[in-house]
Amino acid sequence: MTALAMQPWGNYAVALAASVECLRVSPWTRRATTPETLRLGVEASPESACLPFKACTGHFIKAAMEGVEYGVMVNSRGTCRLRYYREAHQKILDERGWKLRIFGLGYDGIKPPLIRHFDPDPIPFLQCCARAQQKTLAVDALEREVWRVRAIEANRGDATRAMEACLADLDRARTVREIRACARTFAPRFAAVPTDSRRVPLRVGLVGEATLLRDRFLNHNLEEQLGGLGVEVSNFFLLGDEMRNIFRIGFFSRNSRWTLRRIARPYLDALVGGHALESVAHTLRCAREGFDGIVHVAPIGCMPEVSVRPILQRIARDTGMPTLELSFDEHTSSVGLTTRLEAFTDVLRQRRERRA
Amino acid sequence: MSERYWLGMDMGSISANLALIGEGGEMRFDLYRRVDGDPLRAARAALAEARTALPTDAIVAGAGATGSARHLIGVAIGADTIKNEISAHACAAVRLHPDVRTVFEIGGQDSKATMIRDGVVVDFAMNLVCAAGTGSFLDAQAKRLALSIEDLSAQAMRSVSPTPIAGRCTVFAESDMIHKQQVGHRQEDIVMGLCLAMARNFLNNVCAGKEIAPPILLQGGVSANLGIRRAFEELLGQPVIVPRHAMVMGAYGAALLARAANPAPTRFRGFDVCEHHLHTRTFSCDDCANRCEIVEILDGDSVVGRSGGRCGKWEGRQAGSER
Repeated sequence: MTALAMQPWGNYAVALAASVECLRVSPWTRRATTPETLRLGVEASPESACLPFKACTGHFIKAAMEGVEYGVMVNSRGTCRLRYYREAHQKILDERGWKLRIFGLGYDGIKPPLIRHFDPDPIPFLQCCARAQQKTLAVDALEREVWRVRAIEANRGDATRAMEACLADLDRARTVREIRACARTFAPRFAAVPTDSRRVPLRVGLVGEATLLRDRFLNHNLEEQLGGLGVEVSNFFLLGDEMRNIFRIGFFSRNSRWTLRRIARPYLDALVGGHALESVAHTLRCAREGFDGIVHVAPIGCMPEVSVRPILQRIARDTGMPTLELSFDEHTSSVGLTTRLEAFTDVLRQRRERRA
Repeated sequence: MSERYWLGMDMGSISANLALIGEGGEMRFDLYRRVDGDPLRAARAALAEARTALPTDAIVAGAGATGSARHLIGVAIGADTIKNEISAHACAAVRLHPDVRTVFEIGGQDSKATMIRDGVVVDFAMNLVCAAGTGSFLDAQAKRLALSIEDLSAQAMRSVSPTPIAGRCTVFAESDMIHKQQVGHRQEDIVMGLCLAMARNFLNNVCAGKEIAPPILLQGGVSANLGIRRAFEELLGQPVIVPRHAMVMGAYGAALLARAANPAPTRFRGFDVCEHHLHTRTFSCDDCANRCEIVEILDGDSVVGRSGGRCGKWEGRQAGSER
């Protein structure tokens, strides 16, 4: 069967895999970049390209090596360089003689090029979309459970293991009914994880560039590291919210683009590309809702996220909520990162103790 | 009754520091030595030296580890507290100068600025992708000039009109320095120029956007270089204090943190660890696609702990726990 490669989008890989069934292709994806794909990507990409670019190049090269014919990637509009990335990846693959055609998910007519190419029948297509949507929402819910439990788990790694088990079941669920039934098992399963009730977790928001927020390899297991330090994270890239925004559903919902623009307005009144405006809005809202701190992640050289850093610093000054800025490239050392995270949680804990 | 001590060890990229403090938190013994690429050997040597300096009936009531190799060393010596160096340095700085508001800590490969208000760390910054504002920069330039750090320090203090040197990058600094030598600048002015370049680099890159409020403490290995202190004072226009024990503040802080944790009983494995055969071996964890290299720390044939791995599940696991 024809295979279609999709970018590694963390736990959402399960949902993405479900979304392409109706195209009569077999999905090829990974939960995270691997050391091998990153090495391939770094070799093939321009030195100054950002980390997600390199990781994605490597991912598609690896797919081509395994005989995958097609790929699909997000190819956003707006002011970020991401809009050129599909062309750049394609050119790199072509020059190196790999026969893999990448579709972008952009708009150039009513149907996206991918749908035009495979031309699925409308009814199975819509059913498939419904399943993918349900799985996405299920993963959103799962993520929230993991963040909460990981900060207070009695035995390190239990929450992650519970998450893996849930994901495996979710992957097997086929119909909308099965998916919903599976999602209902998440809460009881996490409730069964032994926790240490004496621990009072810190609450930290994770904002910034989407690939880094989702890819556990690229962000050096940021969520797990923070969880191990007793931090309940809220990662503000949730694909369910993102989908709603892409399809313009839920105008007044909590994380709609419109709502976030309104929140960010006192500090940023323009779209600067990527998820930078979202970073500003979520930071402001976290401050209002009494979060202990914010961790902002960005690839080195990421135009949108780097351009909002001074704004985030200003918000930190105005609200008194500490912000940690982390920049990543393929040379980022885990040691330096761990030191920063440990010191940051020390700051947050002392701050909380003093206010109490 | 025999006296109680608390031990602190700071294992960095360049230096291994050890501090022993007494009941009242006062420094009783400290040492600073180079790591020379083998942290375990450096730790054993430091322990051997400390053992000779202590009365024979002294009791170590707790041990703390810090520095970039804190996990490795912490497991090897049996530390009660393993703390990052930012918190350790801040803790020691507050102890010696309770009113401190800014700490510049410049080590071998890392440089950090820590902002403290009312004795509590409120913000910090750390160098990112470049070592230009760190001790390694000066080390490299001193080697090129065939000067020891002591000479470098003495020469820098003699300089009357420092030579401007491009200090953004060690490589370009070298070409600029050679050029300045060839045009005929005096060596002491070049050396002071280097100190200024480094300090400027630190202030521009590490401290960018941070509020630098006095009193300012300068600590870490680089604080031994008086030229750096002079450079900071000239650039900031205010006094910079190099505290007592500035070179071993990390270890001092680690000892203070161990004392504050008040472990009962301590996990410290004793000074005799210096005679043990401490070594490591690695294996790769296949639980996920990251394939992390896990380091096992062995004492003779028995595993005393593990470190490495991105998810942290191997950190500090004791012998006997399942893989």
